[in-house]
Amino acid sequence: MKGWRLEKRTAPSLGSRVAQPILAVIAGFVFGAIVLAIGGHDIGDAYKAMWEASFGTGPGFEQVLVRATPLLLCGLAVTVALRMNIWNIGAEGQMAMGAIGATFVAYHTTSLGTLPILVAIFLGGMVAAGLWALIAAIPRALVGLNEIIVTLFLNYIALLFLSALINGPWKDHASIGQAYGRRLPTQAALPLIGDTKVTIGIFIALAAAIAIYWLLDHSRAGFSLQIAGGNVRAAKYLGLGIGRRILFVLFVSGAVAGIAGVIQLTASGGGRLQEGLTGGYGYIGILVAFLARTKVQAVVVVALLYAALLTGGTALQSTGIPSSIAEIIQASIIIFVLIGQALGSYKLVRTAPAKSPPAHPAALGEAS
Amino acid sequence: MNFWVDALSTGVVLGTPLAFAGLGELIAERAGVINLGVEGMMLIGAVVGFAAGIQTGSIFWAMVAGGFAGGLLGLLHAAMTVGLKVNQIVMGLTLTILGTGLSSYIGASYGNEPFKEHLSKIDIPLLSKIPWIGEIFFQQDIMVYIAIVTVIVAALIINRTRQGLALRGVGEAPAAADAAGVPVFAVRYIAVWLGGVFAGIGGAYLSVVYTQSWSNELTAGRGWIAIALVIFASWRPLLLLPGALLFGFIEALNFQLQAKGVSIPSQYLSMMPYVFTLVVLAIVWTRQRGRSGWGMPESLGTAYEREGRS
Repeated sequence: MKGWRLEKRTAPSLGSRVAQPILAVIAGFVFGAIVLAIGGHDIGDAYKAMWEASFGTGPGFEQVLVRATPLLLCGLAVTVALRMNIWNIGAEGQMAMGAIGATFVAYHTTSLGTLPILVAIFLGGMVAAGLWALIAAIPRALVGLNEIIVTLFLNYIALLFLSALINGPWKDHASIGQAYGRRLPTQAALPLIGDTKVTIGIFIALAAAIAIYWLLDHSRAGFSLQIAGGNVRAAKYLGLGIGRRILFVLFVSGAVAGIAGVIQLTASGGGRLQEGLTGGYGYIGILVAFLARTKVQAVVVVALLYAALLTGGTALQSTGIPSSIAEIIQASIIIFVLIGQALGSYKLVRTAPAKSPPAHPAALGEAS
Repeated sequence: MNFWVDALSTGVVLGTPLAFAGLGELIAERAGVINLGVEGMMLIGAVVGFAAGIQTGSIFWAMVAGGFAGGLLGLLHAAMTVGLKVNQIVMGLTLTILGTGLSSYIGASYGNEPFKEHLSKIDIPLLSKIPWIGEIFFQQDIMVYIAIVTVIVAALIINRTRQGLALRGVGEAPAAADAAGVPVFAVRYIAVWLGGVFAGIGGAYLSVVYTQSWSNELTAGRGWIAIALVIFASWRPLLLLPGALLFGFIEALNFQLQAKGVSIPSQYLSMMPYVFTLVVLAIVWTRQRGRSGWGMPESLGTAYEREGRS
């Protein structure tokens, strides 16, 4: 390293921003191939099965869209908050509360027709999930209580509450084995698109993406959120109420995650509350938002790709190759993306050759 | 009375992996690094420890292997978050996915194999004769005692020694610690590595000693409870012990009530560790404002960059 030093880039170049994720994906699959080879599995078979189960075939692509729907919504939910530097780790629990709120409304509006009942349960789910997120937002706004910790642990409380409901007051006594909630009225099912297995949930998610894009990037409110999140002093100087914005941002974030919960409930959830309904999408949504660098357009793309990876992974089970390889690939892709992002923010610069070794070798070592 | 003694005694056993993993996370967090990958590190420790136990027939080597494997994931977290300054939350979640996937992958061939060695209970002379207390605390296996001693020793090191001061300094004010000559990066690397080692041992205890078998996602969320435990203990090592006992006891109570057919919804009991944690956090947070040295380390979650020193 003599004669060279690392300097922080002000902004990564466009080329590296495009090339890095692609390289990271390739590296992730190469790493997965190595792990497969060590386990004595056929790499070609595994990747062919993953491709055919996702982008490679029509039914596969339908499955990708089904999974991309909650993922996109959770990614959006995290993005909204992250723009204000608020970490909503609680999308998983907010999804659960959304599904619970929707179920509650559905049980009490059984006489309504399809459209009114759907509107009612979506509103019910959004309000329930938004209020749930406020449990973290209020102490954060009042006393600065760390929202990461609170939202994280609210997940478990929400998921256990869901479990208690379907094993208790809302239990469907007709089902044997796994516990389910009583079925929602049949008119509360989300319509399918044509003769596919995809519901109109994907359109709802895309509409949410457009709305959030507008909110964050084209509205005064969104602009003020970024200021309030980035520079507390400037925000105070401008008279921006930070506490109020924290409440707003986490309510919206929770409500969007809640939509994901309602869609899971009325679509792939089979019209009844059940454990596993949230499927980890709330956590993956955090990764999606971060990988997309909180750009709404990028969230859409990343959610779709991530959904393909998830879909391909579950398809492996039928081939005898452990589907856990999909998780290994997921994690390694993310790690490679993170490495790329970290290294991409530095550049090598030639220093004058006569100089003595760098002034702070330890820091250089850490950064390279 | 037997019911409660049984529940508390099982609670000590179930609290042991929590105490190990919680201690590891506490050390990392006191150095300013949050690691949400505890669940993944415990799973890796559990499966590698179990595999090593099957291969060697030795519980000792199983624990060593579990700690070693957990430590490797800890080092990965350190390299990413301390070295490359990657976001700690994102890396921790990724570590959990990696640990879950890798442990299932490694464990695929160990699913049906029971581990035959078992750790016998050791009665501590005199103390084990104390009514109730003796049965709960002093008729346990060696790992329980090791956990208790380790936490106490760690508490002494963290609170009373120069090394402990360095650790706390790095977590509270890394720039000041750096100026005082503390090797901030090295301390963070070691702390996060230790976090992985202890999580791995906690995981290995679960698979090798407690269940004596391996199944996917064996830890069943205990890694997250360990993270809650650190907050419940307000980042104070000694308070890990009563916390681990309480959380372990809640789990044991749940099992016992279900076995007896008591119709309390077990979910509400399972919720308690998280509810307690949030309540403690809220109380400590509102009371500590303006005071330092109590509660969450100041620099928790933020990477340290040496700036303006070139």
